[in-house]
Amino acid sequence: MFKYVVKRVIAAIITLWALVTIVFFLVRLMPGDPFTSAKLTKEVAANMRSYYGFDKPLIQQYFTYLANLLHGNFGYSMKYTNKTVNYIIGQTFPYSADLGIRALVMAVSFGLVLGIIAARNRGKKLDFFCVIIAIIGTSIPDFIMGAILQYFFGIKWGLFPVAKYLGFRYTILPATALAFYTLASVSRIMRSSMLEVTSQDYIKTARSKGLSEFRITFKHQIRNAIMPVMTILGPTVAAVLTGTFVIESIFAIPGMGKYYVSSVNENDYAMILGMTVFYGFFLVLCNLIVDIMYGVADPRVRIGKR
Amino acid sequence: MKKRVLAAFLSMAMVAGLATGCGTPGGGKSDGDSADGKVFRYAVNTLPTTLDPTKGQSIGDNEIQHAVTEGLTRNTAGDVKPGIAESWDESEDGLTYTFHLRKDAKWSDGEPITAADFEYSWKRLVNPETASPYAFIGDCLKNGQAIEQGKMDVEELGVKAVDDTTLEVTLEHPTSYFLSLIGSSGQFAPLRQDIVEKYGTDFAATSEKNVYSGPFVMTSSEDNVWTFAKNDNYWDKDSINLDKCELNYVENTDTQLSMYEAGDLDYVQVPTAYVSDYKDKADVFANGNVDFCYINSKSDNPVLGNKNFRLALNYALNRNDYNKLANADTYTAFNGLVFPGLQAKGTTYGEAYDLNSYSYPLDGDQDKATEYLNAAMQELGIANASDITVEVVTTDADSSKRIVETLQEQWQNALGINVKIRQVTYADIYGKVFPEHDYEIGYGGWGSDYDDPYSYLELFKSDSSYNYSQYENPEVDQLLIASQDEPDTDKRMDELNQAEQDILADGAFVPLQARNVYYMLDDDTTGINFYYCSLNIDWVYADVNAK
Repeated sequence: MFKYVVKRVIAAIITLWALVTIVFFLVRLMPGDPFTSAKLTKEVAANMRSYYGFDKPLIQQYFTYLANLLHGNFGYSMKYTNKTVNYIIGQTFPYSADLGIRALVMAVSFGLVLGIIAARNRGKKLDFFCVIIAIIGTSIPDFIMGAILQYFFGIKWGLFPVAKYLGFRYTILPATALAFYTLASVSRIMRSSMLEVTSQDYIKTARSKGLSEFRITFKHQIRNAIMPVMTILGPTVAAVLTGTFVIESIFAIPGMGKYYVSSVNENDYAMILGMTVFYGFFLVLCNLIVDIMYGVADPRVRIGKR
Repeated sequence: MKKRVLAAFLSMAMVAGLATGCGTPGGGKSDGDSADGKVFRYAVNTLPTTLDPTKGQSIGDNEIQHAVTEGLTRNTAGDVKPGIAESWDESEDGLTYTFHLRKDAKWSDGEPITAADFEYSWKRLVNPETASPYAFIGDCLKNGQAIEQGKMDVEELGVKAVDDTTLEVTLEHPTSYFLSLIGSSGQFAPLRQDIVEKYGTDFAATSEKNVYSGPFVMTSSEDNVWTFAKNDNYWDKDSINLDKCELNYVENTDTQLSMYEAGDLDYVQVPTAYVSDYKDKADVFANGNVDFCYINSKSDNPVLGNKNFRLALNYALNRNDYNKLANADTYTAFNGLVFPGLQAKGTTYGEAYDLNSYSYPLDGDQDKATEYLNAAMQELGIANASDITVEVVTTDADSSKRIVETLQEQWQNALGINVKIRQVTYADIYGKVFPEHDYEIGYGGWGSDYDDPYSYLELFKSDSSYNYSQYENPEVDQLLIASQDEPDTDKRMDELNQAEQDILADGAFVPLQARNVYYMLDDDTTGINFYYCSLNIDWVYADVNAK
């Protein structure tokens, strides 16, 4: 088990280094640079470039960046003067994570329940109902879902605040809008893996032993069927926790999502790199945890690696 | 094994439960409408880039500075009143100003505001080491441009604190709009050297890392909400009605509108797409931005160097139709270069000079267009109009695309030429395409930082770094240079207007529209001012009736 974990961690570090390197050089290939606006004169732009150290050789900038990164320092944003990327992430991540966790709890718990119900009632009306919810969840994009919820629950019926993120009541609409897609996919995966498990030998054995349906479902079926759900949770957790551009924009939540998009448009190199590395780190970490949990939950994974 | 899985899930559930159970990161903050007294709440859809007055580079940056800093003068929608300076003397040649500062002016921490605070701030602005994106605004000060370009020491700048309350300013040229400029541009605000040096690169990173000279202090800058409270140390605090102001960053303009409808905002700009729905309820102001197409007169495409062809482009365009199709009539069709709302000769520029008497008709003129086109083809030796192809470059914004597509259709129909469209990013168009003259015709625009036609006309001065058209007309250059040293302000204005007439007669560019902003304001709110250079909304003197 220890060897398995160490191997995973080393792979994660190499992945991150490759990510940093590729993105560092790729952003420099984008047209323009951070200091382009209608009013900027050449002289002033040159002053700004040297202020941010762009007049040094690119390879030297790269090693400086790597050295700073090892100290956890993402550098100064080039668009938002006098603010470090670390400060901006520190300000925005708690909001994105808070919203993400709420959405995840909602999505996973409801998704699992729906999936189990659908599998248990395969082909019946309840199954059909669950399919409809799943189709709605996967086919309606979150910006429409967000706008619909905002219009009816916020403006028309006045049940929840329209926007901003100042307390529990504010979290419900955005978390619901964000949860829908994950909820739908979790429920579908849970349903099919439940059905797959049903035909396994150990379920037949359990049934022939005369166990009650309740015990079979909870002790044997669900425990085994949940593995595929764990697999999709890794990337989903990373994606949902580090901010979603659309939902945060619609509900005016001061999260990280905006910076993924705007930093690229603004050629804010430090911000692009900071966001990518932070997200990459999170993704790698979540996948690592899933891998390890897989090893914990399923002995075959560990043995197979030996 | 079973236990371990169970433990893993339990701990996950606990983490989730904890997070959902306890408050949100911003929990416990007020919504702004509680017992805070008179509060004005509004929203912007672009983030301020900085809270450092020297480094401000957007309208949004400057709107904040207008509330939390006080310059030597205070410019409220064009009306210039004494600020930190109680009075001033201007030399006869218009080159030297001596400002007398009030003795009771204080920073928000109680320290006196002195002439040295201005000298320090202005030198910091033009110092290349500061790398302020708006350093050029200091060009009007003696040696400002040379210092900014590293050709002269910063100590040579034309500003000197004679004593605590006397500031002597020397200008590069007589600048009739100088008092107006320093009253509306945050870059000319005083700065406290001890505070700037104490925080270094963190200066003004957040609201508490600065002290304030203006009518308001910034009380918070976190979580995309900027809050302001009345500054008790402000010299003119009796003129200030609001207790608080709350500025929200709401990127999505639909959401802004919803928040206004729900009563969460007192002021909202109506998104262009909704203007027709709200035309009855909304008011409008012009923000000083004019849009046009640059024409690269020295491009590889020879037709663009031909004056008759450029005039054909201008006469072929029916700007009224264009404005309906491209902008749903929300802007004003425009056939000039200088924003007509600027102050000139005791009235507005638009009132002082009759644009329609010397520019292309707003409805276009098909006959003249054909005439100019034929003349151009004869000069260039082109037999068929269909042999002519021009390329228009634009950014990938939806509104810009629609504008350029409308132009394409009108030009193709009216002149029978081919028009191609090239899309690039915003960073590309101002980073490379325009500065490196890598285009034929390009959609762009301009808004002024000071109340003077020169700002717009400078785009066509041959040695200007903004001369993206590579336009060269010695007469225009001469008029612009003469205007800089002309002490008679009326005569100077006539020179500038003549330059505009010459530029239009050359067909140097294709004017399109002047921008309007539609907005809604809560009935209980009064005293909001709107301006057309360096800032748009000015809520310093706003008042809110108690409900």
